Amino acid sequence: MTVQPTTVQPTTGGPLLEVRDLKVSFGPVRALDGVSLELAPGPFGLALVGESGSGKTTAGRAILRLVSAAGGTVRFEGQDVLALRGRRLRDYRRAAQIVFQDADNSLDPRMRIGTAIGEVLKVHGDRGTDRVAALLSEAALDPALASRYPHQLSGGQRQRVAIARALAVSPRLLVLDEPTSALDVTAQARILALIRRLRTERALAYLLITHNLAIVPELCERTAVLYLGRVVETGPTADLLARPAHPYTLALCSAVPEVDPATRRTRIILPGDTPRAGSQPGGCPFHPRCPLAVDRCRVTVPPSHEVAPGHHAACHRAEEVLAGLRPPGASAQLADGG
Amino acid sequence: MKLELRDLEVSFAGQRDRPVASVGELAVDAGEIVGVAGESGSGKSMMILAVLGLAGTAGATVTGSVRLDGQELIGMSGAGLRAIRGRRIAAIFQSPALAFNPVYRVGRIVHRTLRLHGLSAAAAGARAEEAMRSVLLDPHLLRRYPSQLSGGQLQRVAIALALALRAEVLLADEPTSALDVTVQAEVLELLRELRDERGMAILFVSHDLAVIAELCDRVAVMRAGQVVETGPVGQVTTAPRHDYTRELLAAVPRLEVRP
Repeated sequence: MTVQPTTVQPTTGGPLLEVRDLKVSFGPVRALDGVSLELAPGPFGLALVGESGSGKTTAGRAILRLVSAAGGTVRFEGQDVLALRGRRLRDYRRAAQIVFQDADNSLDPRMRIGTAIGEVLKVHGDRGTDRVAALLSEAALDPALASRYPHQLSGGQRQRVAIARALAVSPRLLVLDEPTSALDVTAQARILALIRRLRTERALAYLLITHNLAIVPELCERTAVLYLGRVVETGPTADLLARPAHPYTLALCSAVPEVDPATRRTRIILPGDTPRAGSQPGGCPFHPRCPLAVDRCRVTVPPSHEVAPGHHAACHRAEEVLAGLRPPGASAQLADGG
Repeated sequence: MKLELRDLEVSFAGQRDRPVASVGELAVDAGEIVGVAGESGSGKSMMILAVLGLAGTAGATVTGSVRLDGQELIGMSGAGLRAIRGRRIAAIFQSPALAFNPVYRVGRIVHRTLRLHGLSAAAAGARAEEAMRSVLLDPHLLRRYPSQLSGGQLQRVAIALALALRAEVLLADEPTSALDVTVQAEVLELLRELRDERGMAILFVSHDLAVIAELCDRVAVMRAGQVVETGPVGQVTTAPRHDYTRELLAAVPRLEVRP
């Protein structure tokens, strides 16, 4: 899935969202250092995976114009998103919605659920309480909850409300920023099932931002792994998880806790702490924590290259990793993806 | 047994017949990690507060028995509890950021706690540094403010505090739920070391049976305040007897790629 640098955008057949070399800086800190992503029209899911500080949330926000970009392009249905103003920008914000991690802080505690959803409809020129009821049922909530306040709902219910509100304006793109990280596993499973249902019913395209690779396989066709503001590996989810080519992806896979000892992977503990954006080391950004780093990694930035069809990795040793190279102490069990 | 809970009931006024947490029997031995699994609202955290003698501050009434090395803690005087809580029974919680006063340097909080438990200023300083090293943190970080540390680092400092006090029992209430999976893996590894190398008795509360399966020796599954199933972790996770346990297991996301 290589991308042609198009100047004329086809209205059909092209990607829904195309992000090229996106850069975001906060003062001297480069939060995003040239990120490229692509989303096909829905139903389609792209997972953006990484640790805290990797820039995944910033990427989601920059795409929605919630933080400003310092460089690069974002194209949505062919339009240059970063240049949108006024009415066009409002239309884009209707087409592209976000669901935050923490529904506690994204719902006004003094506003009843029905009003919170109704407000979105009103702003975007839509009316009617029956729409609110329909949206709540679509998110598998009792329409009677419309008269409740956020604190009267459970965390899982609040997150459903946030999803219902995002859907109110029939978006074509949804950014889901850690939508289940604040929930326990049972509530998480229900939210994931809801997203799975909505993606087909609504033909949704979404960017799923998460630190947990385990929630990705059932929801996302493609996955991009972010480290220190750069995409270090991207590919079809099944291929990327079964045959990770980047040592960081290996480590992320190995960190997922498993119930069954048979599928449990040998843990790859990365030395040192999650790096803070802004302290970019020379060479490969991952080399200070990489258990497989060699001299070359400390000097040269590895270019992202194709290691399998549609599967790219930015690692000097990607081919060796694919061939079964593992950090000392970790078995090659990972190679079968569990 | 290091820590033993028996017929422990935590309830609120007017609802004595419906305890929020009810534990018939639960024991943790030295060098053992026992997991308590359940959803939000299952009573796991109230149980932890009851063991710490803090359920009263939440307005709850506690009946039954909690014994540390055979010594009854329920009904013990405030002074008696203060000598045990923190020192012999340490606790870490879900949000390490809330466990540290944001206006003090981390080191000051650690130092004061150690001083409160009777260490001299010099001993407290040395102990704090030694404990930081055992959780693989640079003692230098003690000079930072909580906001300058990551969630994983703060959780390690909380564990270091337990180590510095030579705690025998560690109560861990969802200590990794707010952390990234990679950082979670590191904290779990650290807890294993505390069990294996220091013989700590750990009561580990989590909603995630996968985490419990990886870490714990035995598990109690709680639902709506009641323990519905207990047993060795391998047995409970591979051959669950209760429907609720099956439900919790089914909710765990798996990395395996389904065709």
